[in-house]
Amino acid sequence: MDIFFQQLINGLTIGSLYALVALGYTMVYGVMKLINFAHGDLVAFSAYVGLTIFSQFFGANANSIFTVITIFLFTALIVAFVGVVLERLAYKPLRTAPRLSAVVSALGASLVIQNSIMLIWGPNMKIFPSNLIPNTTWQIGGVILTFTQVIILALSAVLMVALYFFINKTKIGTAIRATAIDQDAAKLMGINVNRIIMIIFIVGSALGAVGGLFIGIYYRGLTFDMGWLYGLNAFIAAIIGGIGSIPGAMLGGLLLGLFNAMISGYISTEWADTFTFILLIIILIVRPTGILGEKIAEKV
Amino acid sequence: MNKTTIIATIFILFMGFFPFLVDSAWLSIGITFLVFSVVAFSQDIILGRAGIFNMGHAIFFGIGAYTTAILNVHFGFEIVETIPFAIIFPVIIAVLLAGPIIHLRGDYLLVATIGFNIIFEQVLKNNIFDLTGGPNGIFGIDVARIFGYELSSDKAIYYIAFFLLITTLFIIRNLDNSRYGRALYYIHKDEIAAKSMGINVSYYKLFAFALGAAIAGAAGVVFTIQYSAVSPESFNFMQSVMFFAIVLVGGSASLPGVIIGTFVMFVLPELFTEFKESRYLIFGAAMVLTMILRPNGVWPATFGNIPNYLKKKAASLKGEK
Repeated sequence: MDIFFQQLINGLTIGSLYALVALGYTMVYGVMKLINFAHGDLVAFSAYVGLTIFSQFFGANANSIFTVITIFLFTALIVAFVGVVLERLAYKPLRTAPRLSAVVSALGASLVIQNSIMLIWGPNMKIFPSNLIPNTTWQIGGVILTFTQVIILALSAVLMVALYFFINKTKIGTAIRATAIDQDAAKLMGINVNRIIMIIFIVGSALGAVGGLFIGIYYRGLTFDMGWLYGLNAFIAAIIGGIGSIPGAMLGGLLLGLFNAMISGYISTEWADTFTFILLIIILIVRPTGILGEKIAEKV
Repeated sequence: MNKTTIIATIFILFMGFFPFLVDSAWLSIGITFLVFSVVAFSQDIILGRAGIFNMGHAIFFGIGAYTTAILNVHFGFEIVETIPFAIIFPVIIAVLLAGPIIHLRGDYLLVATIGFNIIFEQVLKNNIFDLTGGPNGIFGIDVARIFGYELSSDKAIYYIAFFLLITTLFIIRNLDNSRYGRALYYIHKDEIAAKSMGINVSYYKLFAFALGAAIAGAAGVVFTIQYSAVSPESFNFMQSVMFFAIVLVGGSASLPGVIIGTFVMFVLPELFTEFKESRYLIFGAAMVLTMILRPNGVWPATFGNIPNYLKKKAASLKGEK
């Protein structure tokens, strides 16, 4: 049973990371009907940005709450800005173009970000410092729980609840939901669709930045091409939950994290990705709209 | 003769004499170009002509290459004898994989095919049944022989690849003028209308997948002959992304478009080794820029692939009005 509870905790941790990243995919898809392939690379980028801020400005002076908060805030700000620039340059000119053009543009943007990371930070693996968050661990029964895991679970939960209220209870949230349902009708109601899309990219990128930093803190090894791996997993999480649905992305993330952890714990780590993609394909065949997605009637 | 025919003839003549004009380094670049353009053309049948969002095309290329390598190294087949298998296996796999997901809407299909490609890569890397050789792949593949004559020189391999390209172009030309080609065109234009006209959409989509897979498999054989080795990286999903991008950046369902796309993505990098480090950065930027300036690709097909006689008929009908 110890393995089970250990993998449960690991799975929930990974799952919250996926969920944070998946929210970026699902919000963009909900409004623009576009798979933002560059989002995963933005997440990788944020891990590198956080690493650089830490080593350039804090160095030895780690472990204080102030340091951690500063790093998270600045990384989120920088990545949100890059996200907005990405949308302006790569997606905005293609809103009326054929759908595949936007997909190719997203793939191009992904290559640009990924290789910028490689040119800036080098092709070799970078190690995220371990002294950013205290290394405290607890042992409950035979199960090990680290302080990092607790922080990840707690902060992701807070962010997701905050996002839920932002989308469902505020005026901007209502405008975002309206735009997701029908852009033209939203325009007629006086909603500035350009601004909504900008807000979505700010929020999605900032959440992705938090996810990226956590990935850095949790896994520690950073490679320039890791964006696709986490991005695809997060995207699968979004599909499992129902793409376009925000609670769906959260649920999908947690479920995928648990699934991954259980496969790694009980079957094999080498084949873990294979099982993830088999799960994806089964879900696409059985219920392409995901768990919480609505069934959309095909327009004739 | 229209413009396209003239350009095609000049291109084919040039490629036919190419080995006599260049040194061996250029010759191997030429082989790479021919092989990858064949794969790109086969992707264009699926993506450009049938409009199926397939982002796992490297699978079929890889199955072709691995079939030849495995049959040759582990089972002692001659390279020539492996060709039928390297064409049929990708077709079988294509039908088995695409069958259950062919009805999915565009983006979902795209993600499912990426998924297949990643599974394929893991299967190769994990050395399944001790056949695929793990992350390093398979080395020491025999040279191809026809009637005891060894086809090991670069020129011989070049002409094998050239023959494959000509065959592919011939198949595509016939496809465009056939019932199948027209069905694919209508499905691409408006799937629901095509369905209500009595076109069996799933059947024709699977046909496109099978044909594309067969040609990609054949290209895989030539790839194996050229390098006498195969490894998983050559068929990972980034390669599929490249083929996907080639067709759409060059211009879907357009022969010159696919040629330009292949040239830019696979030949330019070989020519400019100085910018090796930053080459994908430049490609990425070029992909974004091309899509913004020309959303339909650099050299899009002007009138889809409706056969000439139908175009003339439509024009004459317009005249009568």
